[in-house]
Amino acid sequence: MQKVELMSPAGSFEALHAAIQGGADSVYFGVEQLNMRARATMNFQMDDLKEIAFICKEHHVRSYLTLNTIVYDHDLALMKNIINAAKLAGIDAVIASDQAVIHHAFTQKLEVHISTQLNITNIETIQFYSHFADVMVLSRELSLGQMKKICDAIKKENIKGPAGKLIEIEVFAHGALCMAVSGKCYLSLHTQNASANRGACLQNCRRKYKVIDLEDGHELELDNEYIMSPKDLCTIDFLNELIATGVSVLKIEGRGKSADYVKTVTQCYREAIDLYYEGMYTKIRAKEWIQRLKQVYNRDFWGGYYLGQELGEWTDSSGSKALTRKIYVGKGNHYYPKTGIAEFLIEAYSLSVGDKVAIISPTKGVLETTITSLHVNAHGAMDTANKGDLCAFPLEVAVKPADKLYKIIETAVEEKI
Amino acid sequence: MPIIIQQRSKCIGCNYCVEQAPEHWRMSKKDGKATLIGAVQKKEFWSLKIQEAEKEKNVNAAKACPVKIIDIR
Repeated sequence: MQKVELMSPAGSFEALHAAIQGGADSVYFGVEQLNMRARATMNFQMDDLKEIAFICKEHHVRSYLTLNTIVYDHDLALMKNIINAAKLAGIDAVIASDQAVIHHAFTQKLEVHISTQLNITNIETIQFYSHFADVMVLSRELSLGQMKKICDAIKKENIKGPAGKLIEIEVFAHGALCMAVSGKCYLSLHTQNASANRGACLQNCRRKYKVIDLEDGHELELDNEYIMSPKDLCTIDFLNELIATGVSVLKIEGRGKSADYVKTVTQCYREAIDLYYEGMYTKIRAKEWIQRLKQVYNRDFWGGYYLGQELGEWTDSSGSKALTRKIYVGKGNHYYPKTGIAEFLIEAYSLSVGDKVAIISPTKGVLETTITSLHVNAHGAMDTANKGDLCAFPLEVAVKPADKLYKIIETAVEEKI
Repeated sequence: MPIIIQQRSKCIGCNYCVEQAPEHWRMSKKDGKATLIGAVQKKEFWSLKIQEAEKEKNVNAAKACPVKIIDIR
């Protein structure tokens, strides 16, 4: 049986390696400004395409380029340059929403995936885009039943894409949701001139709001002032039902998220998918995965619209509810390969024996470990290294100056401090 | 004389500066970013001296910029 494909976000080289470490079958990423995370400082440049394709091929992971903003006339040349460069570099497909992008990629014989921005909600739209695209992301607002109907109809009506294979359906499995239908939101543009549809969303939906009846001045009583900010989508506790709809690709949202987030979420879904096909997926295991998912950035979880609830669930805070947080401590300084000792320069806070740490690297992804011994400056073994100190501890892999050292702390402990 | 400064590398190509002050801005067909016409480059910053009378339009462009990369001094 063909396993469902797990697709992870790669907003940086660190996250790309983290996705591969976590067991992703494919990754998606943006270059330059024509993607839905245009603001992300970590967006790749055109020159990075070859390296991305090389890394992905080396690890047998498919690579998809997102080029899914609305496109103006002045963007057309850049759009074509990006697509031509992606084709040349050996990127596997482009995720598109604008018809100019779809058409150009199609004529360049670069596989096209239809972005969720196109809000596909019925079989005839799939028929329409099947002339150009092989994979289509469904609207986030469909229920499991509606997804299944579409997947069944593709088989029944034998709807094939340009590659000659049945159209594959992709859905979001995990990550941030917003209040707008398929992300087509006007709020950020309307209030701050920054269009979400050009990848510049300022997320004003994530703030607190009051609702006042201007006629009588009464303020509506809300038990939660985050009236426009939904919780994050999480499907791991009904992943068996989601896979059973017949979808082919499960996508994890988060090109703006950090490498450790990408690794943790990818790992959890990898395990869940593998166990599903071994017939060992259980709700008890799902609870464990949710506990792990809660360690990294989240606004608490709900099942989105997939389970057909009538009303959305809103978050009760502006930022993350993650149970752990990472704080930057320092950077790689030297590695002693014979003894397997890594030396770091502490640039902030301190590091102690017993601390849980994560090393995030643009070449190796995310490495988690616990400090068992610490060698500080020329003092020999010490319990703590402070700001400005050079400290060393055993590590299996070599470190470079671009590698960053983070201390993982529990959020509850941090609040007490 | 007022000076317009643009951190061009961070431009997301929204076209608002061109709408506000087309005399000084145009969209590059090459990379889809806004180009400050006649500006000189120093690392990632482009700058151009303008007349006092031309300031207001460019202040509006700076206000409209969603990524706040235009500065009028």
